[in-house]
Amino acid sequence: MSLTRRDVLVAGCAGGTALASTFFWPGSVRAQDEAVQLVERLTGQAPTVSDRLHLVMPAVFPTGYTVPMDLDIESPMTEDDHVRRIRVFAPQNPLLQVASFNFVPQRSVARVSTRIRLAEPQYVVAVAEMSDGTLLMTKTWVDVATNGCI
Amino acid sequence: MTPSTPRVLVPSAAAKGEVIKVKTIISHQMETGLRHNSQGQVIPRKIINRFVCRYGGEVVFSVDLHEAISANPFIEFYLRATDSGRLEFIWEEDGGGVYRLEHELAVA
Repeated sequence: MSLTRRDVLVAGCAGGTALASTFFWPGSVRAQDEAVQLVERLTGQAPTVSDRLHLVMPAVFPTGYTVPMDLDIESPMTEDDHVRRIRVFAPQNPLLQVASFNFVPQRSVARVSTRIRLAEPQYVVAVAEMSDGTLLMTKTWVDVATNGCI
Repeated sequence: MTPSTPRVLVPSAAAKGEVIKVKTIISHQMETGLRHNSQGQVIPRKIINRFVCRYGGEVVFSVDLHEAISANPFIEFYLRATDSGRLEFIWEEDGGGVYRLEHELAVA
């Protein structure tokens, strides 16, 4: 099957945008929307996708039992502007909550590393609750070769 | 099951205002409650469900852990050295088990 850019644009105009975008790029608008909706359903509040959150995980990892995860949020951690907590979700795991990290302004830094279990290749989602009540989120695609949740 | 042993790697001295790295690990099965034994019975969940770090008696960092945290949970985090004092590390297990470690930090 050969698809030209023109074909894609035509398909997009015909209403096939969602299909075309998932087909060409996994980091598509649709996947982003799904993650946003998931967070909204879990927290009851709409998150803002932010590049202040850095969720660093290997793109491909041989085992789902111990996947390294580094989280770093750009924040001055003052009384007025800090990260209260970060929640991490693995939406395709049998139990989707991974962890919740709680920080204290002036005392801890919004940066943490751990190792997590993933059942299948998926987007891992991190949500930061800021001191002003807003939710910031980001997500990272991780491809695991074996199920780590059995 | 082997008893759980907690370990911590943290500096003993720091400059005032310095950010220090704290590495913690505890040997633990982190049984998810999703597995069955050979008789088809569910192996009950037994995980470390909470980790707390106190600094001079005050909670400065904590984690709520769920089933998706790997066995032998490893947590690395960062604290700002404010005063000389005792760091306490507490791991709480399902069923009420508690594991503790203490460490003195000198801040100059």
